[in-house]
Formats: sequence, C-alpha cells, structure tokens
Amino acid sequence: MPGESLTTDIEGRQLTLTNLDKVLYPDGTTKGQVIDYYVRIAPMMLPHLSGRNITMKRYPNGVNGQSFYNKNIPSHAPDWVQRVELHDNTYIVCRDLPTLVWMANLASLELHVPMHRAADDAWEPDRLVFDLDPGPGTGIAECCEVALLIAEVLTPLGMTMHAKTSGSKGMQLYASPPEPMTYRGDGGTTELAHRLADALAATHPDRIVSKQAKELRPGKVLIDWSQNVSAKTTVCAYSLRARPEPTVSTPLQWSEVEAGATGAPLQFLASEVLDRVAKSGDLFS
Amino acid sequence: MAARPTWTGTISFALLSVPIKLYSAQRSKDISFNQLERSTGARIKQRRVSSVTGEDVAGDDIVKGYDLGGDRYVIVEPDELDGLALRDTNNDKTVQILEFVSLDDIDPVYFEKAYYIAPDKGGARPYALLAKAMSETRKVAIGKVVMRTKEYLVAIRPLGNVLCMETLLYADEVVDPAEIDGLPDGTMEIAEKELAMAKMLVETSASESFDPSQYRDEYRAKVQELIEAKSMGTVYELPAPSEAPKVVDLMAALEASLAAAKAKKAS
Repeated sequence: MPGESLTTDIEGRQLTLTNLDKVLYPDGTTKGQVIDYYVRIAPMMLPHLSGRNITMKRYPNGVNGQSFYNKNIPSHAPDWVQRVELHDNTYIVCRDLPTLVWMANLASLELHVPMHRAADDAWEPDRLVFDLDPGPGTGIAECCEVALLIAEVLTPLGMTMHAKTSGSKGMQLYASPPEPMTYRGDGGTTELAHRLADALAATHPDRIVSKQAKELRPGKVLIDWSQNVSAKTTVCAYSLRARPEPTVSTPLQWSEVEAGATGAPLQFLASEVLDRVAKSGDLFS
Repeated sequence: MAARPTWTGTISFALLSVPIKLYSAQRSKDISFNQLERSTGARIKQRRVSSVTGEDVAGDDIVKGYDLGGDRYVIVEPDELDGLALRDTNNDKTVQILEFVSLDDIDPVYFEKAYYIAPDKGGARPYALLAKAMSETRKVAIGKVVMRTKEYLVAIRPLGNVLCMETLLYADEVVDPAEIDGLPDGTMEIAEKELAMAKMLVETSASESFDPSQYRDEYRAKVQELIEAKSMGTVYELPAPSEAPKVVDLMAALEASLAAAKAKKAS
C-alpha cells in the first residue's frame, strides 16, 4: 500500500510529496517531519545553500538503510530546479523553498556544499573550512579548544570566524577572508589551511593532528584542512544529519564555543534548532 | 551575533572600569566583481614593474617612498614606522574617557564607524551603571583608544540598554566649508511670502519619524538579479592558471600570527 502523499503548491510550484508517514529515524521521525523541518528552517538555511552546487546524501530507507551521495541532478527533476555544470557533473543549485522541499522529498537528509558559490566567477572560495574531528577518547570539548586556537591565529588576519557543530561528533570552523582568495596556488585556501593545521599540530602535538592516519588519532583532534578544494563539500549549516536522532549541523555563538571547551554539551535536535533561530536568528551570517 | 569581537579591552572612567568587547555595527553589502579577460575568462593579475626598466620588481625590493614633490622622495623603512606606532598591547587596551558632552554638540560629519559594545567577563554591572547614568543625564562620553596601531577619538552613547561606540574624525580631517568656493554665506534676501510657501511644502512632506527600513538600494537589488539570472545561463569556468598566483602577503601574515600565538602560549 503506498504511503500517505500530498500534492501541494509552494510559491507557485506544484509538488507531490510522497511517503510522508515513512519513518526515517529510529526515534520515529517521519519523512513528513523532515520536510516540515526544512520548510521551517528555510529562511535561515537558503542563504547558505544559495549559489553553491549541492551534493545530496539520500536515505530512501531511513538512516539505517542504504544511503548514497547524489551529485548529478536526477533525470526526473522538474525543469524549474536550477542547475549548474561543474567537474563533469550537473549539480542542483537551490535558491528557493520549492527546490529545498523537492530535495527533502527525495529523502535527502543531508545537504553538502563546497566553499565556493557557483554564481561567483571563477569557482573560487569565499571562505575556508576546518573540519574538527575528535579522535577516540576525545569529544566536542576538545574540538572547541582547537576552534579557539584557530580563531586566535586567523582573526588577526582580518578573517571573520563562524563555528557550527557538525551534528555528528565534531564541529566545523569557517573563516571568511577580507579579500577574495583562490583555492590553488601560493597563499590559496588549500595551502593556508594546510599550513595552519600543520603548524598547530606541531605546536600542540599532545592535542592536535593534521594527518588522517588512524593510528595517530586516539586522544587527539584532527584538523581536517582537505575540504578546501573545489571538488570537496562540507555539510551545510542547518542540514540534518543521519544519526539515531535528527541532529542538526548547528551554528554556535562564540560564548557557546568557549563554554563547550569546558564541557558544556553541544548537540542540538531539529526542534531545538528551530527554537534557537526563533530566539537568536541566523548565527552564521 | 556569532561573529567574533573586533576588539576587546576596558572602558576606564574615574574609579569605574568596564571590561568590554566591540562588535562592528555596520556591514557592507556592496557587490564585488573580479576582472576577467573577455575571451578566456582568465583572472587579471597585477604586475609590479619598474617605470624605468620595465622589468618586474620583487616584493622585497619595493620600499615606501614619501613624495616630497619634484621627483624627490624620502624612503621610510617598515621598522622605522613600527617604532612610532602606538600598540594596543595588553597594558594599554583602554578606552580612556576624557569628558562628557551632549550628543547634539557633535555634528554628524564627525561620525566615522559604529561599534556595539558588549560587556566582557565581570563587566555587566559597571556597564549597566555607566549606560544608565549616561542615559539619565543625556550625556555622551568622549574618549580615546588605540586599536591596532592607530589612536582613535571616540564617542560612546547609550542606545536603549546598549552602549554604542562611534569613531570620530579629528578636527583636521573635516573640511572647513570656508575652504570651498560657492557655498552660501547667508546674505541672500528672502521674501516672507516665498519663505512661508517653502516652509509649508517642507511641512507637508514631513514624517513623524525616520524609518530607514523603508529605503533599499534599488541599484544593488537590480545588479543581484542580473547576476542570478546570468549565473543560470553562461557561467565562466576558469581555465587552470598556467602558474600559481602569488599571494605571499597572506602566508607571511599567517606565519606572524602563528608566531604570536606561540609566543603567548610560551609566556
């Protein structure tokens, strides 16, 4: 028997939403609730998606089922879904609510984006990202400490720093440079991020690693600098994550990062994130 | 706001000392463009060449020269300037309050850049005290502060419960109207009737209050629309640069910042 479906008009686009009662998370969260979350968070999330080519991570049978990364736009996509060519793929670009809802209806729990905007010329990054990944025996508190160390170095360079939880175990730190940068070359974001990660790992060998090797990781935070290339993506601010509960990659106040470094818990569910933005607005702008 | 403070320090006035953080109160929404070669879409690079030999000049070989006129220059070395610069070192991160004036006494032409002041650890009570005292006496504090290497004249004023800091221009940075030819000198004869008519026109267009949100930058909105429309059509993909662009300054700045962080850790 087919699941509950609903044909709806969103900003003039007709969409048929399917299997709304299908449970996607072990805690009972349904696809309908996932779509509802994306509709409500859209005013905050769309500016962070806008112009960036999107990689969808789809979970048609829920977070414990088979999942797949979807870069190329599906052939059945309505023609009003905007798209852009990059690296031999035709990606989705999302600037509006109908596109976001359409992606959510494909059970795209997670939306991942690169550090550039497709609408800018030259596919060059408008920010750097440091993915802070806690090794065995460490957690988000250690990530917060490392985030503060990175901010201490980059803020004097005129960079604007923003932090968010990954929604999984770690967090991500973004740095927006005052002047346009390139990915490649001397002083490009790839090199800058790599140099910074190596230097901090050398200064704090007891706490930080900058290399992926598994045997180096226990007790330390990995500063993953490698997402600063045009082909890589990072989970978008406000995206859900495929975890046992619907956690969200959540923008943080700096006071929360400071409190997090001393052990305050930093994990937020979709419902809590909606309360946070109602109170504080978008902490990522 | 989740942005990091642009400056932290202390407001100091008589026996009062308020630890504070500054956040920029303004944001630029200008749309910026890069320069590209039309035929290839390649980014345009700047080269520094000697006006005499026409050859490239390395960064290390470029010095600052102050123009004395008549093709004569004084060369000033970076460390000579460093020696003169005021530093907002840890022992002098203070907004020193010098006097209090009425806001009306400060002509808007002096206002430069606005910051919101947030109380830092332990500052909430003295902050509230200062804000309330200033708002009840309807006074604005004039002070001086060193940020990075420049000394600023600032005005601190209450905005509801929040203190706001504006950097002010120094008097010699404001142009005296007398320096400009053709500004009126107030000797024009005006007929009473004409004046009454003009005043009535002003009154009929007068608003209860000023609401800046009713105005928007129409030109910027149109540029944004143009860009969004065009980004769906032809989007230039850059060819791989034949040689890596040099942005040595940023890497040098990173090294300096790392060294500073390391020194702080060691001390």
